Amino acid sequence: MTRAAPRPTLDETVRRLEAALGAEHVLTDPADLLVYEADGLTHGRTRPAVVVLPGSTDDVVALVRIAREAGLPLVPRGAGTGLSGGARPVEGGAVVSLSRMRRILELDLENGWARVEPGVINLDVSRAVAGAGYYYAPDPSSQGVCSIGGNVAENSGGAHCLKYGFTTNHVLHARVVLSDGSVVDLGGPAADAPGYDLLAALVGSEGLVAIVTEVTLRLLRRPEVTRTFFATFPSTDEAGAAVSGIIAAGILPAAIEMMDRLAIEAAKAATGLDWPDVGAALLMDADGPRAEVEHVSARAIEIARAAGALEVRVPRDEAERQLMWKGRKSAFAAVGRISPSYLVEDGVIPRSEIARVLREITRLAAAAGLRVANVFHAGDGNLHPLVLYDARNPGEEARAAALGGEILRLCIRSGGSITGEHGVGAEKAAYMAEQFGPDDLETMQRVRCAFDGAALLNPGKVFPTPRLCGEKPGPYRPHPAELAGLAERW
Amino acid sequence: MSAAPRHAGPPDAVLGVTPRLAIEPATVPEAAEALRALAADGLAVTFVGGGTDLELGAPPARLDAVLHTRRLSRIREHAPADQIVAVEAGITIAELQRALAAHGQRLALDPPFPERATAGGVVAANAFGPRRTRFGPVRDLVIGMTLVRADGVVARGGGKVVKNVAGFDLPRLLCGSLGTLGLVAEVVFRLHPLPEASATVTVAGLSAAQVRAAAVAALDDRLEPVALAALGEGAGFRLAFRFEGFGPGVAEQAERLAGSLAREGRAVERLAGPDEAAIWARHEALRGGGDVRARASFAPAALAAAVEALRPLEGALRGGALVLHPVLGIALVAGRLEDAAAAALAIEDARTALARGAGAPRPGVVGTLVLTAAPPALRALADPWGPPPPALELMRRLKRELDPDGRLAPGRFAGGI
Repeated sequence: MTRAAPRPTLDETVRRLEAALGAEHVLTDPADLLVYEADGLTHGRTRPAVVVLPGSTDDVVALVRIAREAGLPLVPRGAGTGLSGGARPVEGGAVVSLSRMRRILELDLENGWARVEPGVINLDVSRAVAGAGYYYAPDPSSQGVCSIGGNVAENSGGAHCLKYGFTTNHVLHARVVLSDGSVVDLGGPAADAPGYDLLAALVGSEGLVAIVTEVTLRLLRRPEVTRTFFATFPSTDEAGAAVSGIIAAGILPAAIEMMDRLAIEAAKAATGLDWPDVGAALLMDADGPRAEVEHVSARAIEIARAAGALEVRVPRDEAERQLMWKGRKSAFAAVGRISPSYLVEDGVIPRSEIARVLREITRLAAAAGLRVANVFHAGDGNLHPLVLYDARNPGEEARAAALGGEILRLCIRSGGSITGEHGVGAEKAAYMAEQFGPDDLETMQRVRCAFDGAALLNPGKVFPTPRLCGEKPGPYRPHPAELAGLAERW
Repeated sequence: MSAAPRHAGPPDAVLGVTPRLAIEPATVPEAAEALRALAADGLAVTFVGGGTDLELGAPPARLDAVLHTRRLSRIREHAPADQIVAVEAGITIAELQRALAAHGQRLALDPPFPERATAGGVVAANAFGPRRTRFGPVRDLVIGMTLVRADGVVARGGGKVVKNVAGFDLPRLLCGSLGTLGLVAEVVFRLHPLPEASATVTVAGLSAAQVRAAAVAALDDRLEPVALAALGEGAGFRLAFRFEGFGPGVAEQAERLAGSLAREGRAVERLAGPDEAAIWARHEALRGGGDVRARASFAPAALAAAVEALRPLEGALRGGALVLHPVLGIALVAGRLEDAAAAALAIEDARTALARGAGAPRPGVVGTLVLTAAPPALRALADPWGPPPPALELMRRLKRELDPDGRLAPGRFAGGI
């Protein structure tokens, strides 16, 4: 740099943003900012200095250039349904809400491609192509409200990703704006574009590498048939054994979900379903060509019975099937019926460890004097423990958070992960250093530096210790306190 | 223990460039130590697995050492109940499949030359076979990785569980990076059950447009083939659909497909056992034949136009042949070089035609041709990668972050990286 130009003030920056995007698309009134203070994880709130609502790629380029000059951090935001604080504003920074960019730009059924803007709601993609027999596979529970841009940032999954994969398996191309204001096309949509797989770096990067302004998604044909069954068990031990047995038989269910006693109780309270009071329940979908699916369903039901199922219900029609899934998908919110407050955790364990880890969670919960309801994607070992508490009781919220942390550590110790689909965001950055070593994290940060050397995008998220780009860290040297056995590595 | 470098010889050459040193580490720490030593001396290195895709890319611009992964060949962990396996880079695909088959499982990846192709090489080269139609490219099967950076630092990404969004996705980023970002030292794959039954239905005498139409009709009929490939036969193609799974499902799908094709008056064959193995062996022989091989990618619906674009190249090669993957939007050309100038011209024309694509211009990359093998006479006239990718500047920045001195296979990759 040849001269150190004075950075524009916030007021000046806001004026520039208004001039570039139109005053109505730049929010500074505290009442307007309120809704942007948090994402789906509402207990952590930060007021942004300004919220910007771009309507096009050009708008994003303009606002990124203005922000960069001002050193104004940018936090991209989709529909704000994230559960890890990934879209939580940075103190003194701007939120870039992509909600105005919600056009479906092109539906190319010949190739099975949909080109959309990031603000398009997940389910609206499937709705747009349903008449032709197609759909977009990733189906997070929030798919009726969450956006494709948010899905790309979080690498969202859903119940059916066991068979069909995650967002990363369905994004073919993305147009992004980098923090230097350049517009770059990443990936195909045709297969095997020469060069690095930069989409791999983008999808799941939680808003730290680029702002997505356009995405090409892969569409799938609806399977010929889907067969669903609901089975109840005395406890999660038998249900876990049924899941293991089904997988060991060579069956790949489209989805296989488990709920424990407390989660079943909550789902019943919320939906009025006539589910029995039992220790555990499984809900399984098999889909594909008719003969294959009939065979697989019958076999899975046999295995569930042999594993100790109390009752197996097969929906009479599509309406009843939808109702069963509604019970499962509403389970998070339903927990509100049986507890004044609750935390949604998200961790992953090897599938074979399900029964043992659930027993351990029960033990940890009892020790903390709290209840935990478990709803999860059993086929891929993705747990969603819901820690129930009452915020009105002094100290209980902190105990709940501590229990959530213990559960994450249990997942790491079991060979799993601190997040299967909700992301690291602001909430779990501290646990990253327990799942990964310093060299792992430093390597990931180098990738971030390649995209955003200025660390303008979503700073402070994901990584426990931010690294300045261009900094060459020396070899690891243990801290004296660590050598003395006084501290762990942090 | 450390892996002392030995003097390299002609068998260590990479596309005609012979290094001075060869290193064969037996453990990941040995590989890391070797890379630290090379870094200290500022030496350039290329990683070599089974050598089955060594012809992909350009010759290294600088080559002081090769690091062979052949002694890094252990299965570190196989958890059948969790359907995952962690392996060192140098294990061959065939050896891994044999170990997995004992537990009724497989890695759903069927690249060419499995007896030589290694896990790390297949990941680095993004190699694939016909089952990619169902199971996706290698990136869809890789869930964790240990890599060794140019500076010898060992880093992990992903993990041992299929569902995992903690941290940046280093494992997928390294897929297809051809050893230019780091050494793929260990890989964790997700596994699939070995199918109970398999059947293949073939239909001969199709044009490229008919290949695409037949593939689309089968998918519209909600059939789910695991592999779908068309093999060039004279002026037309024989299209093969493979079904795998449980007995009743496989039989019903094969029957339904054969029935609907026969009603259209097509010459249909249902193959099982050795006949089925033979048709897929022919697929391998066709795509692997000759000393010139190319892979074209395009919008799947533009298959017929892509074949038109590739016919001159096919014709310029002796015994030239085409293999089409109509659902993936990929076509493979293979044959023997006769006239390098004619082949280079055909490649250039094919690239121009493929890049134009069918229909309206789209953002992103539609329509490319990569030379996956070529003798020096052709390399002198045609760039193996074609025009630089649109995100080249970003790719260069990534390369600089992970290999600042440009010592990992310099010049081998797309855009001269």
